[in-house]
Amino acid sequence: MRQVPVIGPIRRGLQSDFALRFRRSRNAMIGSVLVSIVLVVAIFAPWLAPYDYEQINMLAIWRPPGGEHLLGTDALGRDVFSRILIGARVSLTVAGSVLAITLTIGVTLGMIAGYFGGWAETIIMRTVDIIFAFPELILAILVAAVLGTGTTTVIIALSLVWWPGIARLTRSLVLSLREEMFVDAAIASGTRSWRILLRHLLPNIASPIIVRASVGVGFIIMAEATLSFLGIGVQEPTPTWGGMIRDGLAALRTDPHLALFTSLALAITIIGFNLLGDGLRDLLDPKVRDQ
Amino acid sequence: MKISNRISGLKAGSALVTVLVLAASAAQAQTLRTNINADPAMVDPITYSELIAGDVIGNIYEGFTAINEAGDVIPALAESWDAHDDNLGFTFHLRPGVTTHLGNEFTADDVKYTFEALLNPENQGGLNARYLATVVGAQAITDGDTTDLEGVRVIDDYTVEVRFNEPDVLFPIYPFYFMDDDAVETAGDEWYLEISAGTGPFVFETWDRGQRVLLSANTDYWGEGPYIDAVEFVIVPSGDTAVSMFEACELDVVYADAASIRRILQTPELAEQSIQAPAAQIRYLGMNQNLYEPFQDERVREAVCIAFDRQAMIDGLYEGAAFPLAGQVTPGVAGFNANLEPMPYDPDRAQALLAEAGYPGGEGLPPINITSTEPNRNDILYFASQLQQVLGMPVEVEIVERGSHIRNMNAGEVAFFPWGWSAGYPDGLYFLSQVWYGPSPYNRSRWQNDQFDALIDQARATADNEARYALYNQAEEILIGEYGTCPTTVRMQVALVKPEVEGVRLTPFRFLPFNTVRMN
Amino acid sequence: MLRYGVGRLLGLIPVLLAAVILTFLANQAVPGDPITGLLSDQSGDAALEARLRAAYGLDRPLWQQFVDYILGVLQGDFGLSFRFAQMPVIDIIGEGLLISPVLALSALAIAFPLGMLLGTIAAIRQNSWVDTSIILVLVAGISVPNFALASFLVYIFAFQLDWVPVAGWGSFSQAVIPITLLVVPTSAYIARLNRTYMLEVLRTDYIRTARAKGLREKIVIWRHAVRNTLVPLLTTVGIILGGLLSGTFVVETIFNIPGLGSLAIQAIFARDYPVTMAIVLLFTVFYAGINLIVDLLYSAIDPRIRLGDRTA
Repeated sequence: MRQVPVIGPIRRGLQSDFALRFRRSRNAMIGSVLVSIVLVVAIFAPWLAPYDYEQINMLAIWRPPGGEHLLGTDALGRDVFSRILIGARVSLTVAGSVLAITLTIGVTLGMIAGYFGGWAETIIMRTVDIIFAFPELILAILVAAVLGTGTTTVIIALSLVWWPGIARLTRSLVLSLREEMFVDAAIASGTRSWRILLRHLLPNIASPIIVRASVGVGFIIMAEATLSFLGIGVQEPTPTWGGMIRDGLAALRTDPHLALFTSLALAITIIGFNLLGDGLRDLLDPKVRDQ
Repeated sequence: MKISNRISGLKAGSALVTVLVLAASAAQAQTLRTNINADPAMVDPITYSELIAGDVIGNIYEGFTAINEAGDVIPALAESWDAHDDNLGFTFHLRPGVTTHLGNEFTADDVKYTFEALLNPENQGGLNARYLATVVGAQAITDGDTTDLEGVRVIDDYTVEVRFNEPDVLFPIYPFYFMDDDAVETAGDEWYLEISAGTGPFVFETWDRGQRVLLSANTDYWGEGPYIDAVEFVIVPSGDTAVSMFEACELDVVYADAASIRRILQTPELAEQSIQAPAAQIRYLGMNQNLYEPFQDERVREAVCIAFDRQAMIDGLYEGAAFPLAGQVTPGVAGFNANLEPMPYDPDRAQALLAEAGYPGGEGLPPINITSTEPNRNDILYFASQLQQVLGMPVEVEIVERGSHIRNMNAGEVAFFPWGWSAGYPDGLYFLSQVWYGPSPYNRSRWQNDQFDALIDQARATADNEARYALYNQAEEILIGEYGTCPTTVRMQVALVKPEVEGVRLTPFRFLPFNTVRMN
Repeated sequence: MLRYGVGRLLGLIPVLLAAVILTFLANQAVPGDPITGLLSDQSGDAALEARLRAAYGLDRPLWQQFVDYILGVLQGDFGLSFRFAQMPVIDIIGEGLLISPVLALSALAIAFPLGMLLGTIAAIRQNSWVDTSIILVLVAGISVPNFALASFLVYIFAFQLDWVPVAGWGSFSQAVIPITLLVVPTSAYIARLNRTYMLEVLRTDYIRTARAKGLREKIVIWRHAVRNTLVPLLTTVGIILGGLLSGTFVVETIFNIPGLGSLAIQAIFARDYPVTMAIVLLFTVFYAGINLIVDLLYSAIDPRIRLGDRTA
């Protein structure tokens, strides 16, 4: 049975007043502005960056902010501003990949479990339970330890800990919809299962899943940065915010600009995604509460 | 800490009392607190095989000889020694009246026992076992045929004779760490975590993994001092943290790591409290020809060697606290060849050489990792960047943990790495025979040249110093001439010492034991 | 109640078994032969190699290694370390065993009341500027990664103001920044949840009745409403603790605190897999245990609800 939302606005025709309410939500607006900036930066980073982010210059190490280098340089004379811009691209690429993978796997398996039930459901949901038995980041660290460091590892590790949440949500949504009239009608008219899943169920469960995914982006970015910070994530010379903050922390006293500016960039990005995610959740699906 | 606060009876008390007092009133005992950047790999003198362990163990155990502040060899547990006429042995006259930390008198039996323990395959003897390779009967023990070392004869308590299969003229200056032969009997196989069995100025107390190694004063020490009650080696992985702890008076003496030299030299208050000495440490770029086929071509090796700018590294990475290294013996170590020129930085020639070798613009070179530990991250990033840009070599950087890196290098499993080797005694043979001699397990890049090995063998048998140094130079020229490695730089060691601490001796051989240290 | 508890306990067995199997398989899957690494100088010594293989149990067939591993783990024996030759894993992790849980639990003890307070204030003043700004602060608190926050806190409080030492472990002042780093996201998370729950509770008849009876608003809120949000909040303690445990990995690494978290990271770099796996397993057991206790507590408080689904 579908739950009736306890609090918040009751769901009506979505499109009609969505835009209006979105604009009214201050936090969602702030979030969308921040996210837009980060997206633009990530997409156009190679053209926006004033310097080659990999270019080592021994004659210009640890330049303070200002002058030729807007945000200064690091221990190898690399331009911090350019590296932060490229770092945004790296973060979002990883987050985007993880999102795509977890949505594909999570929704597929969740729908299979919810729609078909039986042994498939048992296997899938048991797997989900087992993964949930580990603290997320610790499981990701375990995977990284086994697979060795690198971008692919980070994506695999984070996908592995992220899909069960999506699968579980999808399954519960499918379960609640299965009994609905239109599904019965489709089954009665002899429509194939996969058609029912794709045509009838998927569009109806999309929005809560999108909400769930959007709330997760900030956390995925944070998890990637954490792995890179610990040195088991994306490796040099690819700039990552996590790695840059680790390098910056080591030089925090003499040359604080690296750690502080990178921390700021990372913080603003995650705040932006979380504000936007919260806003979307409040507007689209008041059922899915704080995760 | 004021000297008047010291408990007067402390010096006379036993080690146990010292610790109890330390625990009860840490403020009143004079503890010298200094840093090490990782757990020592071991704290026993038998398996001892790395620098950090050496920093600790060197305060607890002693050999026939020691080094003074000027870097010269001086007698320690041996008062004197005579070379045998056939050049195949020495007779050592031990210092009488030396007591081990277990309260026994140090005698010739302990010398023999230590040698046998080093060689016994059960024990995985470390660095010092290598010094015994030429002793008569060493092989028999290594093979497990016997546990008695035939070539070492105890003549009386204070006289011991060592015989060799082939001449080994440097034997008296090898820095052995002699231990009491009662130790295992007293405390079992892992005695080194329970008790202390040396003769040195300090006594091993505890090792809290990841935290500290604590030594207390040996109140019966035969030599000078110690004037302080204890030495605490605090394990501080971050050099920056160590400097901060120094500023906060949580450490009295800091051996600065490369990463914190910038901060020290740029902060006037710290620069004032710093001391410097060049390191007796060769640094090189290891190229393992077994693991990366292109390294078998001398032209590729030369191209690598001249594709990076040593002066830029010194200015950019080391704050100027370094100088280029031409060969594989450092200045200040006997046998240094002052005539060798450092390799130039010549990108054009490097590219031409690579093309000649069949890899124009790096085309056809298989991917390779350049591997090192966290403190060397910027070095390998610089190398990788230069090799990519100048040579088009597909180099990736790989950061690994120190302990496992050392093991893997020793096992010959690392293809490409910048690393260093610090001299254990002030003679160039140390570098050449340990790092570049074919059969040496510390020949980590597995470079091998028969002629080089023959020269080293010959040098070992040459008692005349000048003639021996000439052999070193010849061997070194072979190594450098065929670009067996790329020498990189010699680093200055920088240490911080609180003004109230006196007698800290920073030499090319790191700190000498802290027995001369006074805290006012 | 008893049946539920036993059921939950039994339900834990497949999960923990899976965790052990996973860690064992992970041990097998990792690249490289640990014995070669251990041999280092003596890599040609076949006798020594055989001895080491026997000591590490690697000379036995895989299934037997697995059985031995399980039996060992049940007795608290996690095998031998690859980094410190032939040293039992349990000796290595034993010293830091309590540090991570102590860090996590002390952070929880501070964050829980703090979060409840902030969340309640925001809920009472719903839609006012107080609420809006608290929400912004909470989003920031959840969003800023602990190591990014660390760079600001260390820069300001350790370097600029010189109030606290930079790193280390053992004294109160050394624990201030690490615990703050754990408290900030945790309290923000709790506050957000509490705000939502509080808004719900404030609309219930129960509270309306209390108000109608003329009870003072303060008593209504802090006695009656808070009590009602406490129960759903308690159910999230498990998730919160999972986050805190993960947080200790980072915080211990930054501040050189010798707990299991930093030890696990060192072990990963040292490829000391038995140590890594043991720590992961211990954290999982601790995490599962806390979740179990929370569920049992919850079902004791509110017998109508048998929680099956913690995370949805």
